[in-house]
Formats: sequence, C-alpha cells, structure tokens
Amino acid sequence: MTPAAPRQQRRAGPWRWLVAVAFAMSGWGSAHAIETLRVRAWPGYADADIVKVFEQRHNVAVRVSIVSSDESLWERISANEGGDFDLFAVNTAELKRYVDAGLAVPLTLANIPNIATQLPRFRDRQAIPNIARNGQVYAVPYTYSEMGLIYDKAQVSEPPTSISALWDPRYKGRVLAFDTSGHNFSIAALSLGKRNPFQIDDASYQQVVDHLVALRRNVLTFYSLPEESVELFRDHKAALLFANYGTQQVQQLRKAGADIGYVIPREGALAWLDCWTVTRGAKNKKLAEAWIDYMLERQVSHALTERQGLANTVEASDSAVGSAKIIWLEPVEDVNRRAELWSRIVSGDRPMALGRH
Amino acid sequence: MLYGIRFRLGVLLAAFGVLATGLTGLYSYTESRTLLVRAAERDLMTATQVFGKRLSTVVHNISDDVRVLAELQLTRSVGDADSAAFEVNRAALADNFKSLLQASPQYFQVRLISAAEHGLELVRVDRDGPGTVRVSGDRLQEKGHFPYVFRTLQLARGEVFLSKIGINHELGAHAGLNQPTLQVASPVVMADGRKLGLIVISVDVNRVFGELKADLPSYLQLFLSNEWGDFLIHPDASQTYGFDQGRRVLIQDSFAELQPLLQGNAQQLLARADLGATEPNPLLGAFIKLPLGRAADHSFVVLGIAEPLSEILESTRILGRTTAQIVVAFSAIAIVLAVFASRLVTRPLNQMTREVKRFSSEHAIGELPTQRRDEIGELARGFDEMQLRIKSYLAEIYASRNHLAHVARHDTLTGLPNRTVFLDRLEHAIVTARRRGSVLAVLFIDLDRFKEINDTYGHATGDKTLILVASILKMSVREVDTVARLHGDEFVILLEAMDDEQDARRVAQTLIDRFAEQLRINDRSFELGLSIGISFYPRDGADASELIQRADEAMYLSKHLAGNRYSVFENATKE
Repeated sequence: MTPAAPRQQRRAGPWRWLVAVAFAMSGWGSAHAIETLRVRAWPGYADADIVKVFEQRHNVAVRVSIVSSDESLWERISANEGGDFDLFAVNTAELKRYVDAGLAVPLTLANIPNIATQLPRFRDRQAIPNIARNGQVYAVPYTYSEMGLIYDKAQVSEPPTSISALWDPRYKGRVLAFDTSGHNFSIAALSLGKRNPFQIDDASYQQVVDHLVALRRNVLTFYSLPEESVELFRDHKAALLFANYGTQQVQQLRKAGADIGYVIPREGALAWLDCWTVTRGAKNKKLAEAWIDYMLERQVSHALTERQGLANTVEASDSAVGSAKIIWLEPVEDVNRRAELWSRIVSGDRPMALGRH
Repeated sequence: MLYGIRFRLGVLLAAFGVLATGLTGLYSYTESRTLLVRAAERDLMTATQVFGKRLSTVVHNISDDVRVLAELQLTRSVGDADSAAFEVNRAALADNFKSLLQASPQYFQVRLISAAEHGLELVRVDRDGPGTVRVSGDRLQEKGHFPYVFRTLQLARGEVFLSKIGINHELGAHAGLNQPTLQVASPVVMADGRKLGLIVISVDVNRVFGELKADLPSYLQLFLSNEWGDFLIHPDASQTYGFDQGRRVLIQDSFAELQPLLQGNAQQLLARADLGATEPNPLLGAFIKLPLGRAADHSFVVLGIAEPLSEILESTRILGRTTAQIVVAFSAIAIVLAVFASRLVTRPLNQMTREVKRFSSEHAIGELPTQRRDEIGELARGFDEMQLRIKSYLAEIYASRNHLAHVARHDTLTGLPNRTVFLDRLEHAIVTARRRGSVLAVLFIDLDRFKEINDTYGHATGDKTLILVASILKMSVREVDTVARLHGDEFVILLEAMDDEQDARRVAQTLIDRFAEQLRINDRSFELGLSIGISFYPRDGADASELIQRADEAMYLSKHLAGNRYSVFENATKE
C-alpha cells in the first residue's frame, strides 16, 4: 500500500458518513411515506392513467407487472408462496388451483362496496365456479368474454339457436371452428346435450370424439388467430363462425365490412371470466381490496371495454348476451386426453382409427 | 549552424513528402472503405437475389413435379373406385410416389387426396427414416379441412397452390411430423372436368434451405420470414416459428428497417440489426421480397442474407493496414529522397563555401561547380569571376604597393637607396658596430664638374651622367656596402665592417682613380672628378647624422682643395 492511501481513507471518512446518513434518511422516509401495491395483471387491465388516479387517491405506489400466459402467472404467483404480489387477475378455470393451494385468500366484501353495482350475473356466486368456497369469497369478477356464434346474415336467414348449427349439413364447408382441444370437446358435449361440458365421462368419450370428427367434416377449416378468422370468413364466404374471441371478432368482422349477426346458443356460451384475487402474501389486504373496489368503478370498468373491447361486469353488454346463458370456464376432466385426441382428430384420423386408441 | 540549410531543407522536403503521402493515403482509405462497404452491400444484395432465384427455381421444380403427377394417366385412373384395377392402380401410383421420394430427399410426403370423402387420402407415401412407407387402409386420413386441400380444389388444371410455411402437426406424417413444411399442391382434373382431387408434395423446408445454404460462405447468415414477419429461418433456431408456440418473433422487431418490405411498397432493402445476445454482433443484411405461389394470392416470403459488420469491416481494416504500410513506406522513401535532395542542393553550396573560405585565407582559387547549368552553376561562375577579379585587383594592389615602397626608399633616377634608407642602414650599422666594437665609414661624394655638364648638355645628359655615376659607384664597392644618392650630385657610401681606416681610404682612392678617367655618355667624353669626405665611427660621431655631417665637412674640404681627392674628417680638422 502506498503511504498516501491511509490519508485518503481518512479524508473520505466524513463523506462516507454523510452519504450513508443521507441514504438512511431517504430510505427510512420512503419506506414509511409511500406504500407499494404489487399487481399482476393481463395487458390492458391497469393502464398507467388509471393506476395514477388510484395512487393519488390512496397516496401509494402501484407496481403493475404484466401476465403473458396462464402458466407464467402460476409460476410467478406460486413462487415465494404468493409473497411477491399483493393481488392478481386470473380466470375462473385457473382460479381453482390457486384456491386449492391456499395462494388466494378470502376477501372482506365490506371493503369492496362496488360489488353492489355489478350486474346480477356476476353477483351470483353459486353460478360462477370456484370464486366462493365454504361461504368465503376468493375472487371478484372483473371482465369476461363469451364464445358465441357469428353468422353471415346473407347466408343464414334464421339466427342459429343451438351450438349444433356448427354441425348443420346446410353449412357444410362454410363453418369456421377454432383449433383447440378444450373448448371443442366442451361444445361437442354441449351439442350432445351433456349436462357438464367440463366433465366428460369415459362412456361418453367415443361419442364426443365421433361428434368432433363430424364437426371436422362439416367445417371449412379450424382457425387460430382472430385476424385469420376474419380473412377466412371473408375470402371463403363462411356462413357460421365459432367466436372463440367473442366480441373482439364481432368488432373485427364488422370493421372488415361483414354483415353479421352474433348469438348465444341456447345451450349457453362458454366464457372465460377474469377475477381479481388477493394473495396470501399480500402486505396490506385492505389496500388490495381497495384496488378491486376501484377496478369496479364505472369509469374504470368502462375504460376497459372502450379500450380493449372486453366486456365489464358493471355495464350491460351491447352484444347479444343479455341474460343469455353463460357457461363460465372450469377445469376439465383430463386436459391431456382432450389434447391428444384433438391433435389426432384435427390431423384427419377417421373414427375407425380413433376408435382403436 | 545547429540547424543548417541542409537540415531545414531536408525536414521541409520530408514533411512535404510525408504529408502528401499521408493525405493521399487517408483519402484513398476513406474512398476505398466507402467503396468496399458499398461493394459488400451490393454483393450481399446480389447473393440474396441469386439465392432467391435459386429458391424460385427449386419451388418451380417442385411445382413441376406436382403438375407432372397430377397429369399422369395413372393418377386419373385412381379416380374410379369401382374399377377392378383400382387397387392395382393405387399401388402403381404409390410406387411412382416412392420413386419420387427416393429421388428427392427434400420431400417428406407425396399424396393423392380425394376431393370427395372429406378429403380422404387415396394414395400416400411418407418418408420414414432412411426409407419410405406407404400409408394405407384405416390410417389414411381426411384432410379436407386443410387450406392446401380446399384451396387447391378451387384452382384450375395446371395451377399450383403453395401453402404458408409452417410446422406440420398432422399426426402420422412420419419424418415430416413437427417439421417446417411447405405444401405444394395441384388439382387432378378428369377428362370431363370433374376434380378427382389433388396431388400434394410436402416439402422439407429445412432441407431445401440447408442445401441452398451449403453454397453460402459460413460467415453469411440466412434469414427467412413469412409475410407477417414471423421468422422461419434464423441463425438461432429458437427464434423461428414462434407463432407455433403462441408467441411472435418478428423480423421487423430485429430489422426495424424492413417495415416497408412487409407492408408492400418495397421489393428489396438493406437493413441492420444487432442480434448479439451477450456481446454486440451488428449485422448488415440484404433482404428481398420473394413471391410465393400464384400472383393472385399475393403471398410472399422475406429472404435475407446478412453479414456481420465485423466481417465487412475486417476487409476495411486490412485495407487500412495496407494503406498505412504504403504510407509509411512512401514516407520513408520521401525522407530518403529529401535527405538526398537536400544534399544535392547543399553539396555544391558547401563546396563553394569551402572554396570561398580557402580563397579568403589562401587566395587560392579552388574547384567550383561552374560546369553546372543551373542556378548553382551560375552562382559558382559568379564566384569564380569574382575570385578572379579580386585576385587581379590584389595583384595590382601588391604591385603598386611594392612600387610605392620602392619609390619611398630609392632614388627614382638612379635606383639607389635614398637618404631615408641610407640613414636607416647607417643607424642599423652603427648599432651593429657598437655591439661588435667594429669600425664603419661614411663616404660623402660630390661630383666636381656636374653643374657644367648639366648646363652645357642639358638635364637629360645630366641625368644619364648621374645614372652612370651611380652604377660605377655601386660596382666599385662590396655587396654589403650601401651606395645612396642624397640629392643632386651628392652620393653617400656606407662601408661596414672594415678592418681599419685604410680600407676606406683605399675605396676612396679607387673611386677617385676611376673617375679620373674619361666617362663616355652619348658619344661624348666627360671628365667629372670626385670630391670625397670620409668620417669614421665611432671616432667621428656617435650617430648617423653626425657621421654624415662630418663626412660632408670632409668632402667640402676636398672640394676646397680643388676636388678630385678625398679628405678624412680627422684630416680635415687637422688641416
């Protein structure tokens, strides 16, 4: 060490003290002055301007992280036993495993008075799977999208009333269905009159599979993206479309100039429903519940509909939904079995080949 | 002369040389660098276009294969399921498909698909490992809901449909399962215009591009995207077919400049990107829009070949190094030339300096570069002339100086030393005599009858007489003795180092005897006669003027005694 070094150290001493004290003061100050609410939400659920109003009103900071998939949401929330976030948005089918795992905690409804302004459909906790258990409420519905039927008014004179219209030979080669295992098994079960489309028993499997082959034989093709469905609908003069993306597709088709109608079949429309849920690791549960209450305010919920084209829970939808039957998504009996069979069906296997497996 | 003209001229010339070389080097480097980068861009674009043409050719050839199969009579014969030969024809067609698969490793599947029965496969041969397998019976699938089926069936005879490039998830596709695939299909039209179905060839996209890419240098990177920008080929395979896993990895996110290409108002573009995950790896790529399939479908792919900028800049780095080497080499040459040139200029200057110095010290004219036909030669000639002129001036000056010196010390008429010289020598002789203790004598001589000659025959004769007298006097004494003319007809003689006074008397007597004879001047004879006075040192005086004075007095005594005799001062005082 050079002789100069100890002298420099001595000289640096007071500085370090000053900096250390300043840091300590600022850290101490912010930790006590500004509380942070950690929110994990899907894109468009918590825009910056909306967040800002909440921050000012409660004098807190809100940190919003964006969810990209059901799986990544599960990974992030279950990590650290929910300690990394205060609340998150999750659909009813996914919600079950969070409640099962104890990652979601019961809510104090008194802290969320805006629940009273929600449409009756969303206050009926018995009809919505998984949000209530043993008298406790674990989640509050926020936004949803139902999967109705879109039809071309020029080709379909009478609006279809049943999901079975997808199988109607009159529309053979003019039906567009969605390329997915879960929902297709569910709608086939609905078409066959099954009581619970999410729980297909072994005895019914062959029947449902055959019904899906029949669907395959009746469709033009299976689409994946909403833009793709619009293109196919227009280019191939489709008559009927299973609207996996619901009102989003209605809007896009109308924008593309299609003269279409949108109906909820009498069997009911499958619908995903995203709910706000508070984690076990929430630091300030009351603040998290205040957030949920804020999300249900009319102008906040309205902004979601206006900006994202997603229906909210406090305003009546201007689509055909009305009081029609909505079937909120639930976990299915066997995801893998449905997926495996669906990939064979969509590959073109005939019943005799499918029956062997 | 710490920094002489040679040094300064050398430095100046060298600086000019280095500066000129450096600037030329810099200019040529920047120009060449620009040209190199442009050439690299052009090469890349050419490479991409050539690649695109070859790809088009490959697609064209595949389309031809599909068309040929669709036109086969054998293919059409499979149309009649009731025919007895139905199975035989199917087997024969399957053999054809098999041969095609064996000959074309880039094909996954060749199929004949029916337009009826929900697009049921009629004949299907799949690649499976190293071989092929014919799929038949219950394992034949219904493909009617796939775009390559329902869209091909909308086409006319001979038209070819190209699917979007995607991952083939059709279960049972053997080697082609979950592989990037392009479906190329054409309808099979019966004689009556009825569509039997379609021929579909599933193309192994990776293999096609792998073969095409094999000809590219390894540092070039290949990119392919579909018309929405989804990567289909990327050096990092994990970036491809993102849409198949529910995410989008788009080329325009990496190469932002490609937006116009995708939106349809550009056909080819250069674009840059940095795909380095851990360290920067900037790329320059040339991209073209390559139509795929029928013009009516407006379908295309974006093909690009990119080169790391470091690769392009490497060649400019080499260029820079070469340029630097050339600059250094030429600068060195310039410095050597500068030294040489400065020596060339200064050597004659130095030579002249040396010669001028020598001239001023030795008055010797040395060798000057007067032969040169330049300014230096002119200067040398000037010097030379100046030296010669100076030399002649000097000679004149020396001559006149000698003359003046002579004139100052001699009598102009007779050439004898004058009074000044005589006094000088006398004093000198006195000093010598005093030191040695010797005796010297001064003889004062006057011509007895000179005035008569002068008056009678004129001054010219008088002068000649004086000259003759002088020469006689000079011849009559020893070499060491001094004869001088004082003025008029008065002469003095200094006799040094005598043994005794008798010597002086003898000399005086000899002179008198000599002049007692007739002298011939201008054919006339004259009788002059001398009167001589003698004084001795140290006896008669201690200094020159005293001795001359005594001798003069003695001469007057002789004159007084009628001349033609000599008198010694002692005698004079005695008499």
